[in-house]
Amino acid sequence: MTDRAVFEAQVLPHLDAAYNLARWLTRDPHDAEDVVQEACVRALRYLASLREGGARAWFLTIVRHASYDWIERHRDRDVGDAAIEVAGDAESEPAQIAERRGDSRALAQAIAALELPYREVIVLRELEELSYKEIASVAAIPIGTVMSRLARARALLRQSPMLHAIAPRRSGGER
Amino acid sequence: MSERGVSMNCAEAVVAIGARCDGELAGDAAAALDAHVAGCAACRAEQAALVALRDEIRAQAPRHVAPPALRARVDAELARAFAGAGVDARPVTPTIAARAKEAVLARARSWTRERRRWFAAGAFAGALLAVVVGALTGVVARHWGGDDVAVAAVESHVAATLGGHAITVASSDRHQIKPWLSARLDYAAPVVELADSPFVLAGARVDRLGGRPVATLVYRYRLHVVDVFVRPLADAGDAPALTMVRGFTVARASGAGMEWRAVADVEPAVLAAFVGQLARTAAVPSPVGR
Repeated sequence: MTDRAVFEAQVLPHLDAAYNLARWLTRDPHDAEDVVQEACVRALRYLASLREGGARAWFLTIVRHASYDWIERHRDRDVGDAAIEVAGDAESEPAQIAERRGDSRALAQAIAALELPYREVIVLRELEELSYKEIASVAAIPIGTVMSRLARARALLRQSPMLHAIAPRRSGGER
Repeated sequence: MSERGVSMNCAEAVVAIGARCDGELAGDAAAALDAHVAGCAACRAEQAALVALRDEIRAQAPRHVAPPALRARVDAELARAFAGAGVDARPVTPTIAARAKEAVLARARSWTRERRRWFAAGAFAGALLAVVVGALTGVVARHWGGDDVAVAAVESHVAATLGGHAITVASSDRHQIKPWLSARLDYAAPVVELADSPFVLAGARVDRLGGRPVATLVYRYRLHVVDVFVRPLADAGDAPALTMVRGFTVARASGAGMEWRAVADVEPAVLAAFVGQLARTAAVPSPVGR
Protein backbone atom coordinates (compact mmCIF):
# COMPACT_ATOMS: atom_id res chain seq x y z
CA MET A 1 0.00 0.00 0.00
CA THR A 2 1.14 3.48 -0.72
CA ASP A 3 1.49 5.97 2.11
CA ARG A 4 -1.57 7.69 0.91
CA ALA A 5 -3.64 4.52 0.96
CA VAL A 6 -2.35 3.70 4.45
CA PHE A 7 -3.28 7.16 5.65
CA GLU A 8 -6.72 6.96 4.14
CA ALA A 9 -7.43 3.48 5.42
CA GLN A 10 -5.89 3.72 8.89
CA VAL A 11 -5.85 7.34 9.95
CA LEU A 12 -8.75 9.10 8.24
CA PRO A 13 -11.41 6.92 9.89
CA HIS A 14 -10.35 8.56 13.16
CA LEU A 15 -10.86 12.11 11.95
CA ASP A 16 -13.95 12.55 14.14
CA ALA A 17 -12.07 11.33 17.20
CA ALA A 18 -9.21 13.66 16.32
CA TYR A 19 -11.50 16.64 15.90
CA ASN A 20 -13.37 15.84 19.09
CA LEU A 21 -10.16 15.71 21.11
CA ALA A 22 -8.76 18.86 19.53
CA ARG A 23 -12.07 20.61 20.02
CA TRP A 24 -12.17 19.80 23.72
CA LEU A 25 -8.53 20.68 24.24
CA THR A 26 -8.53 23.97 22.33
CA ARG A 27 -12.15 24.74 23.23
CA ASP A 28 -12.69 26.37 19.87
CA PRO A 29 -14.18 24.84 16.70
CA HIS A 30 -11.96 26.72 14.26
CA ASP A 31 -8.77 26.22 16.17
CA ALA A 32 -9.62 22.53 16.44
CA GLU A 33 -9.77 22.37 12.65
CA ASP A 34 -6.37 24.01 12.36
CA VAL A 35 -4.95 21.63 14.92
CA VAL A 36 -6.31 18.55 13.18
CA GLN A 37 -5.04 19.73 9.83
CA GLU A 38 -1.60 20.23 11.34
CA ALA A 39 -1.86 16.81 13.01
CA CYS A 40 -2.60 15.26 9.62
CA VAL A 41 0.51 16.84 8.16
CA ARG A 42 2.55 15.43 11.03
CA ALA A 43 0.85 12.05 10.78
CA LEU A 44 1.83 11.85 7.12
CA ARG A 45 5.39 12.66 8.07
CA TYR A 46 5.54 10.01 10.80
CA LEU A 47 3.49 7.41 9.00
CA ALA A 48 6.33 4.91 9.21
CA SER A 49 5.94 4.77 12.98
CA LEU A 50 2.30 3.64 12.72
CA ARG A 51 1.76 0.08 13.97
CA GLU A 52 -1.01 -2.20 12.83
CA GLY A 53 -4.11 -1.90 14.99
CA GLY A 54 -2.93 1.10 16.97
CA ALA A 55 -3.92 3.83 14.55
CA ARG A 56 -6.43 5.58 16.77
CA ALA A 57 -4.21 6.00 19.82
CA TRP A 58 -1.30 6.84 17.52
CA PHE A 59 -3.22 9.55 15.71
CA LEU A 60 -4.72 10.92 18.92
CA THR A 61 -1.23 11.17 20.38
CA ILE A 62 -0.26 13.36 17.44
CA VAL A 63 -3.45 15.39 17.75
CA ARG A 64 -2.78 15.90 21.45
CA HIS A 65 0.75 17.12 20.71
CA ALA A 66 -0.54 19.48 18.04
CA SER A 67 -3.21 20.74 20.46
CA TYR A 68 -0.66 21.40 23.18
CA ASP A 69 1.58 23.22 20.71
CA TRP A 70 -1.37 25.33 19.67
CA ILE A 71 -2.29 26.07 23.28
CA GLU A 72 1.29 27.04 24.00
CA ARG A 73 1.35 29.42 21.04
CA HIS A 74 -1.99 31.00 21.91
CA ARG A 75 -1.65 31.21 25.65
CA ASP A 76 -2.39 34.93 25.55
CA ARG A 77 -5.75 34.62 23.90
CA ASP A 78 -7.36 32.07 26.14
CA VAL A 79 -10.93 33.19 26.65
CA GLY A 80 -13.23 32.85 29.59
CA ASP A 81 -14.90 29.50 30.07
CA ALA A 82 -18.44 30.79 29.72
CA ALA A 83 -17.74 32.41 26.37
CA ILE A 84 -16.19 29.23 25.05
CA GLU A 85 -19.08 26.89 25.29
CA VAL A 86 -21.70 29.37 24.22
CA ALA A 87 -19.71 30.08 21.08
CA GLY A 88 -19.13 26.38 20.60
CA ASP A 89 -22.78 25.50 20.82
CA ALA A 90 -23.81 28.04 18.25
CA GLU A 91 -21.16 26.89 15.87
CA SER A 92 -21.69 23.27 15.03
CA GLU A 93 -23.33 19.90 15.48
CA PRO A 94 -26.68 21.56 16.01
CA ALA A 95 -28.68 18.36 16.00
CA GLN A 96 -26.56 16.69 18.63
CA ILE A 97 -26.97 19.66 20.84
CA ALA A 98 -30.64 20.10 20.13
CA GLU A 99 -31.35 16.51 21.02
CA ARG A 100 -29.86 16.88 24.43
CA ARG A 101 -31.68 17.92 27.50
CA GLY A 102 -31.27 21.25 29.18
CA ASP A 103 -28.45 20.32 31.51
CA SER A 104 -26.17 19.16 28.72
CA ARG A 105 -24.73 22.61 28.30
CA ALA A 106 -23.89 22.79 31.98
CA LEU A 107 -22.13 19.46 31.75
CA ALA A 108 -20.18 20.51 28.67
CA GLN A 109 -19.20 23.72 30.41
CA ALA A 110 -18.08 21.87 33.50
CA ILE A 111 -15.86 19.61 31.39
CA ALA A 112 -14.54 22.55 29.38
CA ALA A 113 -13.68 24.31 32.63
CA LEU A 114 -11.50 21.43 33.85
CA GLU A 115 -7.79 21.97 33.72
CA LEU A 116 -6.16 20.41 30.69
CA PRO A 117 -4.71 17.26 32.35
CA TYR A 118 -8.13 16.40 33.77
CA ARG A 119 -10.10 17.44 30.73
CA GLU A 120 -8.08 15.27 28.39
CA VAL A 121 -8.42 12.07 30.43
CA ILE A 122 -12.18 12.57 30.75
CA VAL A 123 -12.57 13.14 27.01
CA LEU A 124 -10.35 10.20 26.10
CA ARG A 125 -12.08 7.90 28.55
CA GLU A 126 -15.74 8.91 28.38
CA LEU A 127 -16.14 10.25 24.87
CA GLU A 128 -13.51 8.28 22.97
CA GLU A 129 -13.78 5.27 25.29
CA LEU A 130 -10.08 4.55 25.26
CA SER A 131 -8.66 1.97 27.67
CA TYR A 132 -6.36 3.10 30.47
CA LYS A 133 -3.47 1.68 28.52
CA GLU A 134 -4.36 3.70 25.45
CA ILE A 135 -4.89 6.85 27.51
CA ALA A 136 -1.51 6.30 29.16
CA SER A 137 0.08 6.09 25.73
CA VAL A 138 -1.76 9.09 24.28
CA ALA A 139 -1.20 11.35 27.29
CA ALA A 140 2.32 10.02 27.95
CA ILE A 141 1.64 9.23 31.61
CA PRO A 142 1.78 5.98 33.64
CA ILE A 143 -1.42 3.98 34.05
CA GLY A 144 -1.49 4.82 37.76
CA THR A 145 -1.58 8.48 36.85
CA VAL A 146 -4.41 7.83 34.40
CA MET A 147 -6.39 6.34 37.28
CA SER A 148 -5.68 9.12 39.74
CA ARG A 149 -6.33 11.85 37.16
CA LEU A 150 -9.62 10.30 36.18
CA ALA A 151 -10.63 10.04 39.83
CA ARG A 152 -9.67 13.66 40.40
CA ALA A 153 -11.40 14.83 37.22
CA ARG A 154 -14.60 13.10 38.25
CA ALA A 155 -14.44 14.53 41.74
CA LEU A 156 -13.99 17.99 40.21
CA LEU A 157 -16.93 17.49 37.89
CA ARG A 158 -19.17 16.43 40.72
CA GLN A 159 -18.16 19.47 42.74
CA SER A 160 -18.58 21.78 39.79
CA PRO A 161 -20.91 24.67 40.56
CA MET A 162 -22.08 24.40 36.95
CA LEU A 163 -23.60 21.02 37.56
CA HIS A 164 -26.74 21.41 39.57
CA ALA A 165 -28.32 18.60 37.67
CA ILE A 166 -25.77 16.00 38.67
CA ALA A 167 -24.74 17.10 42.12
CA PRO A 168 -27.81 15.80 44.01
CA ARG A 169 -27.27 12.28 42.75
CA ARG A 170 -23.98 12.22 44.49
CA SER A 171 -25.58 11.19 47.75
CA GLY A 172 -26.60 7.79 46.54
CA GLY A 173 -29.39 8.76 44.16
CA GLU A 174 -30.34 6.04 41.71
CA ARG A 175 -31.33 6.17 38.11
CA MET B 1 -13.20 -13.67 52.53
CA SER B 2 -10.65 -12.68 55.15
CA GLU B 3 -10.93 -9.26 56.68
CA ARG B 4 -7.28 -8.37 56.27
CA GLY B 5 -5.08 -9.15 53.28
CA VAL B 6 -7.57 -8.32 50.58
CA SER B 7 -9.25 -5.51 52.44
CA MET B 8 -9.20 -1.97 51.26
CA ASN B 9 -9.77 1.35 52.94
CA CYS B 10 -12.08 4.02 51.60
CA ALA B 11 -9.26 6.14 50.22
CA GLU B 12 -7.99 3.25 48.10
CA ALA B 13 -11.52 2.34 47.17
CA VAL B 14 -12.27 5.75 45.70
CA VAL B 15 -9.65 5.33 42.99
CA ALA B 16 -10.45 1.64 42.52
CA ILE B 17 -14.17 2.32 42.13
CA GLY B 18 -13.43 4.47 39.13
CA ALA B 19 -11.35 1.72 37.58
CA ARG B 20 -14.09 -0.81 38.32
CA CYS B 21 -16.65 1.42 36.56
CA ASP B 22 -14.26 1.71 33.64
CA GLY B 23 -13.96 -2.06 33.37
CA GLU B 24 -10.27 -1.84 34.18
CA LEU B 25 -10.26 -3.74 37.46
CA ALA B 26 -10.20 -7.52 37.53
CA GLY B 27 -9.22 -10.49 39.68
CA ASP B 28 -8.17 -9.95 43.28
CA ALA B 29 -8.34 -6.20 43.10
CA ALA B 30 -11.92 -6.34 41.86
CA ALA B 31 -12.83 -8.86 44.53
CA ALA B 32 -11.26 -6.74 47.26
CA LEU B 33 -13.12 -3.69 46.07
CA ASP B 34 -16.44 -5.50 45.83
CA ALA B 35 -15.95 -6.82 49.38
CA HIS B 36 -15.28 -3.33 50.66
CA VAL B 37 -18.16 -1.76 48.79
CA ALA B 38 -20.53 -4.44 50.04
CA GLY B 39 -19.78 -3.45 53.61
CA CYS B 40 -19.45 0.30 53.17
CA ALA B 41 -22.49 2.47 52.53
CA ALA B 42 -20.37 5.53 51.73
CA CYS B 43 -18.46 3.69 49.01
CA ARG B 44 -21.67 2.20 47.65
CA ALA B 45 -23.00 5.71 47.30
CA GLU B 46 -19.72 6.73 45.72
CA GLN B 47 -19.96 3.94 43.19
CA ALA B 48 -23.56 4.83 42.32
CA ALA B 49 -22.59 8.46 41.90
CA LEU B 50 -19.69 7.62 39.61
CA VAL B 51 -21.87 5.40 37.45
CA ALA B 52 -24.44 8.21 37.25
CA LEU B 53 -21.76 10.73 36.29
CA ARG B 54 -20.37 8.45 33.62
CA ASP B 55 -23.83 7.91 32.17
CA GLU B 56 -24.49 11.65 32.22
CA ILE B 57 -21.27 12.43 30.41
CA ARG B 58 -21.77 9.77 27.76
CA ALA B 59 -25.36 10.76 27.21
CA GLN B 60 -24.85 14.48 27.19
CA ALA B 61 -21.35 15.75 26.58
CA PRO B 62 -21.08 16.44 22.86
CA ARG B 63 -18.74 14.21 20.90
CA HIS B 64 -17.86 16.71 18.23
CA VAL B 65 -17.85 15.50 14.66
CA ALA B 66 -15.30 16.67 12.11
CA PRO B 67 -17.04 19.28 9.92
CA PRO B 68 -17.03 18.82 6.14
CA ALA B 69 -14.76 21.83 5.71
CA LEU B 70 -12.12 20.05 7.77
CA ARG B 71 -12.42 16.94 5.63
CA ALA B 72 -11.93 19.08 2.57
CA ARG B 73 -8.86 20.71 4.10
CA VAL B 74 -7.35 17.37 5.02
CA ASP B 75 -8.00 16.18 1.53
CA ALA B 76 -6.32 19.23 0.07
CA GLU B 77 -3.40 18.50 2.39
CA LEU B 78 -3.22 14.97 1.04
CA ALA B 79 -3.40 16.22 -2.51
CA ARG B 80 -0.55 18.62 -1.76
CA ALA B 81 1.53 15.98 -0.02
CA PHE B 82 1.19 13.55 -2.89
CA ALA B 83 1.18 16.06 -5.71
CA GLY B 84 4.59 14.85 -6.81
CA ALA B 85 3.51 11.21 -6.91
CA GLY B 86 1.49 11.36 -10.10
CA VAL B 87 0.57 13.79 -12.81
CA ASP B 88 -3.16 13.49 -12.25
CA ALA B 89 -3.10 12.95 -8.51
CA ARG B 90 -6.48 11.64 -7.55
CA PRO B 91 -7.57 12.49 -4.04
CA VAL B 92 -8.93 9.05 -3.26
CA THR B 93 -7.64 5.70 -4.47
CA PRO B 94 -10.40 3.65 -6.10
CA THR B 95 -10.51 0.84 -3.49
CA ILE B 96 -10.67 3.27 -0.63
CA ALA B 97 -13.23 5.29 -2.51
CA ALA B 98 -15.46 2.28 -2.89
CA ARG B 99 -15.21 1.43 0.77
CA ALA B 100 -15.64 4.98 1.92
CA LYS B 101 -18.54 5.73 -0.36
CA GLU B 102 -21.32 4.32 1.79
CA ALA B 103 -20.01 6.00 4.91
CA VAL B 104 -19.73 9.26 3.05
CA LEU B 105 -23.24 9.03 1.71
CA ALA B 106 -24.64 8.22 5.13
CA ARG B 107 -22.70 11.12 6.56
CA ALA B 108 -23.93 13.41 3.83
CA ARG B 109 -27.49 12.47 4.57
CA SER B 110 -27.21 13.06 8.28
CA TRP B 111 -25.26 16.26 7.75
CA THR B 112 -27.96 17.54 5.45
CA ARG B 113 -30.56 16.71 8.05
CA GLU B 114 -28.56 18.50 10.68
CA ARG B 115 -28.12 21.55 8.58
CA ARG B 116 -31.77 21.63 7.78
CA ARG B 117 -32.70 21.46 11.43
CA TRP B 118 -30.16 24.05 12.31
CA PHE B 119 -31.46 26.34 9.69
CA ALA B 120 -35.00 25.91 10.82
CA ALA B 121 -33.74 27.63 13.94
CA GLY B 122 -31.49 30.04 12.09
CA ALA B 123 -33.90 30.80 9.28
CA PHE B 124 -35.19 33.92 10.91
CA ALA B 125 -31.74 35.40 11.36
CA GLY B 126 -30.81 34.33 7.84
CA ALA B 127 -33.92 35.86 6.36
CA LEU B 128 -33.32 39.05 8.25
CA LEU B 129 -29.77 39.27 6.93
CA ALA B 130 -30.91 38.58 3.39
CA VAL B 131 -33.52 41.31 3.66
CA VAL B 132 -30.91 43.76 4.87
CA VAL B 133 -28.61 42.81 2.01
CA GLY B 134 -31.53 43.04 -0.37
CA ALA B 135 -32.39 46.50 0.80
CA LEU B 136 -28.78 47.53 0.18
CA THR B 137 -28.28 46.05 -3.25
CA GLY B 138 -31.77 45.65 -4.61
CA VAL B 139 -30.83 42.47 -6.45
CA VAL B 140 -31.69 39.89 -3.88
CA ALA B 141 -34.22 37.19 -4.27
CA ARG B 142 -34.65 34.71 -1.48
CA HIS B 143 -35.33 31.20 -2.65
CA TRP B 144 -35.46 28.44 -0.10
CA GLY B 145 -34.75 25.66 -2.53
CA GLY B 146 -36.38 27.02 -5.69
CA ASP B 147 -33.81 27.46 -8.45
CA ASP B 148 -32.85 24.01 -9.80
CA VAL B 149 -29.34 24.87 -10.83
CA ALA B 150 -28.66 26.43 -7.44
CA VAL B 151 -29.87 23.22 -5.81
CA ALA B 152 -27.68 21.15 -8.11
CA ALA B 153 -24.73 23.41 -7.37
CA VAL B 154 -25.24 23.02 -3.64
CA GLU B 155 -25.58 19.26 -3.97
CA SER B 156 -22.38 19.15 -5.92
CA HIS B 157 -20.66 21.33 -3.33
CA VAL B 158 -21.85 19.16 -0.44
CA ALA B 159 -21.00 15.91 -2.18
CA ALA B 160 -17.55 17.16 -3.10
CA THR B 161 -16.63 18.52 0.30
CA LEU B 162 -18.09 15.57 2.19
CA GLY B 163 -16.71 13.02 -0.19
CA GLY B 164 -13.32 14.64 0.09
CA HIS B 165 -12.95 15.19 -3.63
CA ALA B 166 -13.42 18.94 -3.62
CA ILE B 167 -10.22 19.40 -5.54
CA THR B 168 -9.02 17.24 -8.40
CA VAL B 169 -6.23 19.52 -9.47
CA ALA B 170 -4.71 21.25 -6.47
CA SER B 171 -2.94 24.44 -7.32
CA SER B 172 -3.01 28.09 -6.45
CA ASP B 173 -1.59 28.90 -9.86
CA ARG B 174 -4.20 29.72 -12.46
CA HIS B 175 -1.73 29.00 -15.26
CA GLN B 176 -1.72 25.42 -14.09
CA ILE B 177 -5.45 25.12 -13.52
CA LYS B 178 -6.59 26.73 -16.75
CA PRO B 179 -5.03 24.24 -19.20
CA TRP B 180 -6.18 21.37 -16.99
CA LEU B 181 -9.75 22.62 -17.24
CA SER B 182 -9.55 23.42 -20.93
CA ALA B 183 -8.51 19.84 -21.65
CA ARG B 184 -11.71 18.62 -20.02
CA LEU B 185 -14.31 21.13 -21.20
CA ASP B 186 -15.69 22.39 -24.50
CA TYR B 187 -15.15 25.99 -23.42
CA ALA B 188 -12.26 27.93 -21.94
CA ALA B 189 -13.16 28.82 -18.39
CA PRO B 190 -11.41 31.89 -17.02
CA VAL B 191 -9.51 31.15 -13.84
CA VAL B 192 -9.17 34.12 -11.53
CA GLU B 193 -6.81 34.67 -8.66
CA LEU B 194 -7.62 37.67 -6.53
CA ALA B 195 -4.67 39.49 -5.09
CA ASP B 196 -4.99 40.57 -1.45
CA SER B 197 -8.26 38.73 -1.05
CA PRO B 198 -9.20 36.42 1.81
CA PHE B 199 -10.51 34.11 -0.91
CA VAL B 200 -7.54 32.03 -1.96
CA LEU B 201 -7.52 29.85 -5.03
CA ALA B 202 -6.93 26.25 -3.96
CA GLY B 203 -7.65 24.21 -7.06
CA ALA B 204 -10.36 23.01 -9.39
CA ARG B 205 -12.45 20.09 -10.50
CA VAL B 206 -14.98 19.37 -13.20
CA ASP B 207 -18.63 18.88 -12.22
CA ARG B 208 -21.89 18.53 -14.08
CA LEU B 209 -24.43 21.28 -13.89
CA GLY B 210 -27.62 21.40 -15.94
CA GLY B 211 -26.51 18.21 -17.68
CA ARG B 212 -23.22 19.66 -18.94
CA PRO B 213 -19.67 19.52 -17.68
CA VAL B 214 -18.76 22.67 -15.86
CA ALA B 215 -15.56 24.14 -14.43
CA THR B 216 -15.55 24.32 -10.64
CA LEU B 217 -12.95 26.58 -9.13
CA VAL B 218 -12.27 25.89 -5.48
CA TYR B 219 -11.31 28.72 -3.17
CA ARG B 220 -10.64 28.82 0.51
CA TYR B 221 -12.15 31.55 2.57
CA ARG B 222 -10.88 31.34 6.13
CA LEU B 223 -11.91 27.83 7.03
CA HIS B 224 -14.61 27.54 4.42
CA VAL B 225 -14.41 25.79 1.10
CA VAL B 226 -15.97 27.88 -1.64
CA ASP B 227 -16.95 26.32 -4.96
CA VAL B 228 -17.34 28.58 -7.94
CA PHE B 229 -19.08 27.06 -10.95
CA VAL B 230 -18.09 28.79 -14.15
CA ARG B 231 -20.04 28.15 -17.34
CA PRO B 232 -20.91 30.03 -20.53
CA LEU B 233 -23.77 32.49 -20.10
CA ALA B 234 -25.36 30.82 -23.12
CA ASP B 235 -25.92 27.69 -21.02
CA ALA B 236 -27.28 29.63 -18.09
CA GLY B 237 -30.80 30.89 -17.70
CA ASP B 238 -31.96 33.77 -15.62
CA ALA B 239 -31.51 33.26 -11.90
CA PRO B 240 -31.51 35.35 -8.74
CA ALA B 241 -28.24 36.93 -7.71
CA LEU B 242 -28.50 35.47 -4.26
CA THR B 243 -30.18 32.27 -3.15
CA MET B 244 -30.14 30.22 -0.02
CA VAL B 245 -30.32 26.47 -0.47
CA ARG B 246 -30.32 24.22 2.58
CA GLY B 247 -28.44 26.83 4.50
CA PHE B 248 -25.78 27.34 1.86
CA THR B 249 -25.40 30.64 0.13
CA VAL B 250 -25.46 30.59 -3.66
CA ALA B 251 -24.31 33.88 -5.18
CA ARG B 252 -24.35 34.55 -8.89
CA ALA B 253 -22.72 37.09 -11.17
CA SER B 254 -21.89 37.35 -14.84
CA GLY B 255 -18.77 38.58 -16.55
CA ALA B 256 -16.44 37.63 -19.41
CA GLY B 257 -19.32 35.84 -21.10
CA MET B 258 -19.60 33.46 -18.17
CA GLU B 259 -22.00 32.79 -15.38
CA TRP B 260 -20.21 32.63 -12.02
CA ARG B 261 -21.99 30.81 -9.27
CA ALA B 262 -20.37 30.59 -5.86
CA VAL B 263 -21.57 28.12 -3.24
CA ALA B 264 -20.44 28.09 0.38
CA ASP B 265 -21.68 28.43 3.92
CA VAL B 266 -20.45 31.98 3.96
CA GLU B 267 -22.47 35.10 4.75
CA PRO B 268 -24.52 36.13 1.70
CA ALA B 269 -23.13 39.65 1.53
CA VAL B 270 -19.54 38.41 1.60
CA LEU B 271 -20.08 35.71 -0.99
CA ALA B 272 -22.01 38.05 -3.30
CA ALA B 273 -19.18 40.58 -3.14
CA PHE B 274 -16.64 37.88 -3.88
CA VAL B 275 -18.39 36.42 -6.91
CA GLY B 276 -19.02 39.92 -8.24
CA GLN B 277 -15.34 40.69 -7.95
CA LEU B 278 -14.43 37.45 -9.75
CA ALA B 279 -16.73 38.23 -12.65
CA ARG B 280 -15.47 41.81 -12.92
CA THR B 281 -11.83 40.77 -12.73
CA ALA B 282 -12.34 38.16 -15.44
CA ALA B 283 -14.04 40.72 -17.66
CA VAL B 284 -11.06 43.07 -17.56
CA PRO B 285 -8.51 42.02 -20.19
CA SER B 286 -5.24 41.15 -18.51
CA PRO B 287 -1.87 41.82 -20.13
CA VAL B 288 -0.69 38.39 -19.02
CA GLY B 289 -3.68 36.75 -20.59
CA ARG B 290 -5.82 34.22 -18.89
